[in-house]
Amino acid sequence: MIHFDNVTKAYANQGRPALENVTLDVEKSEFVFLVGPSGSGKSTFLRLILKEERPTSGRIHVAGKDLARLTNWKVPLLRRRIGCVFQDFRLLPNKSVYQNIAFALEVIGKPRRFIRKVVPEVIDLVGLEGKRDRMPDELSGGEQQRVAMARAFVNRPMILLADEPTGNIDPATSIGIMKVLDRINRTGTTVVMATHDAAIVDSMRKRVIELEYGKVVRDQSRGVYGQAY
Amino acid sequence: MRAQFVFHEVWIGLRRNLTMTIALIVVVAISLSLLGTGLLFVKQVENARSYWQSRVQLSVYLCSSPTIGGSCAKDGVVTSSEIAAIRQDLLATHDIVPGGLTFETQAQAWQQFKSEMSSNPALVKYTPPSQIPSSFEVRLKNTQADALPVSEAMDGVPGVSHVVDDSTVLDQFYKLLDGARNAVVVIAIFLLVAAIMLVANTIRLSAFNRRRETSIMRLVGASNFYVQLPFLVEGLIAGLIGWLVATGLLILVKSLWLNSLQTYFPYGTTLSSADLIEVIIVNMITGLLICGSTSFLTLRRYLRV
Ligand SMILES: Nc1ncnc2c1ncn2[C@@H]1O[C@H](COP(=O)(O)OP(=O)(O)OP(=O)(O)O)[C@@H](O)[C@H]1O
Ligand SMILES: [Mg+2]
Repeated sequence: MIHFDNVTKAYANQGRPALENVTLDVEKSEFVFLVGPSGSGKSTFLRLILKEERPTSGRIHVAGKDLARLTNWKVPLLRRRIGCVFQDFRLLPNKSVYQNIAFALEVIGKPRRFIRKVVPEVIDLVGLEGKRDRMPDELSGGEQQRVAMARAFVNRPMILLADEPTGNIDPATSIGIMKVLDRINRTGTTVVMATHDAAIVDSMRKRVIELEYGKVVRDQSRGVYGQAY
Repeated sequence: MRAQFVFHEVWIGLRRNLTMTIALIVVVAISLSLLGTGLLFVKQVENARSYWQSRVQLSVYLCSSPTIGGSCAKDGVVTSSEIAAIRQDLLATHDIVPGGLTFETQAQAWQQFKSEMSSNPALVKYTPPSQIPSSFEVRLKNTQADALPVSEAMDGVPGVSHVVDDSTVLDQFYKLLDGARNAVVVIAIFLLVAAIMLVANTIRLSAFNRRRETSIMRLVGASNFYVQLPFLVEGLIAGLIGWLVATGLLILVKSLWLNSLQTYFPYGTTLSSADLIEVIIVNMITGLLICGSTSFLTLRRYLRV
């Protein structure tokens, strides 16, 4: 589903590359944790998948498409197949829960009937029944993240990228968030999650890829956060 | 394409920076109405010029009464033998267009005068037909080169009052009009440049105000077209409103100012409604082109994938 072949990414005016010679594969419906210290290149990895950044060298394939050969006007089509969740939720403050989720479908031109049908479904999926008309500032952080996940998932993407989704949320609430991610993963969606949360990684026992200074230093199925010495 | 969604976004955008939008509309309106005024002016001058072009000639006025003075005071009213002699002289010595020498009797001249001055009945009323001189109307093959020699040759010939070269009179008049027109057009161009900068700024501000929305749109895979359309429509709507205001102002300008100016153009060179409509259409194209293309170019810089 995601295929990196010897990928290096060096930002302009930056000494050391953010990613260096990364080669790895993520299969369909896999759940992958991306761990590593701050600045190790986790977010860069995710941005490369979205083609928000271009690699300095190497090849990237996402859903069978060679990103280097993807023309600019086709990039939006790629992004429709990838959902994204961030640490800071990125909800629109002047739209309700329902409107925030519907927005993601409106802007890709989905018909109104379709939107009315699928938005309530996904609201149920993330466990926000009865809160569809709340505004973001009337929700807790955990609930806001659920809205963000619903928005990322409402178009049934093949891949869900989550960049420290539990970074602003207390451990107890994080468990709920992880349950939703797990549920999404079980529908066949590939999930890649960058995180610093050791407890979560340890409890889920999924594949763990560890980056350090832009290099893959560990790739372990059913791994844990820290090095298992 | 969901029109309702786009227009909702446009409405939000227009409302969020209302002051900028209003400033933009005002500048577009003023620059377009100035441009339109300039164009109407051009048309008026062109109409008059082409009317005259076909008629430019030398008029050799004959003595209608001794009171005119000059040579007429000495010789008195022109006689028929003098008229014949002048005709002979003109035909023999000057390069005249075939059939380009006509004699206008006092009666004909008065009729002409009456129709041309129909907008000024008082003048017609107090000018007796005998005051209007008869004349030879001369159309030279080469007006520019030969006009002066003819005037000089005719000077002092018995029965000749004076010679008028239409083109020299008109030239001065048109220089004045051209100057006025150029001034209007130059100001209009300056304002259009200001309008372009304002459009760019308004769109940029609008894009900045809604950077949250647009970043999410790009994230979920909205096409460039969909991301940019609301801004483009926003610029076009401002341009359209500006154009409507300018159209109103132009109709006012035409009916109040240019129509009163028409008293000075009494020779069937009136601006028609078709002229006005043409100018309004040119204005619309200019306005939409400026707003549309500036928005488009601004968006390309500020809203990249
Ligand atoms: N847009 C950018 N321009 C220049 N350098 C950048 C840019 N984004 C990231 N970097 C650099 O690339 C390196 C990797 O950054 P990245 O954001 O991928 O790290 P990260 O693993 O996500 O860190 P964190 O855990 O703190 O989020 C860092 O050294 C960072 O300074
Ligand atoms: Mg990061």
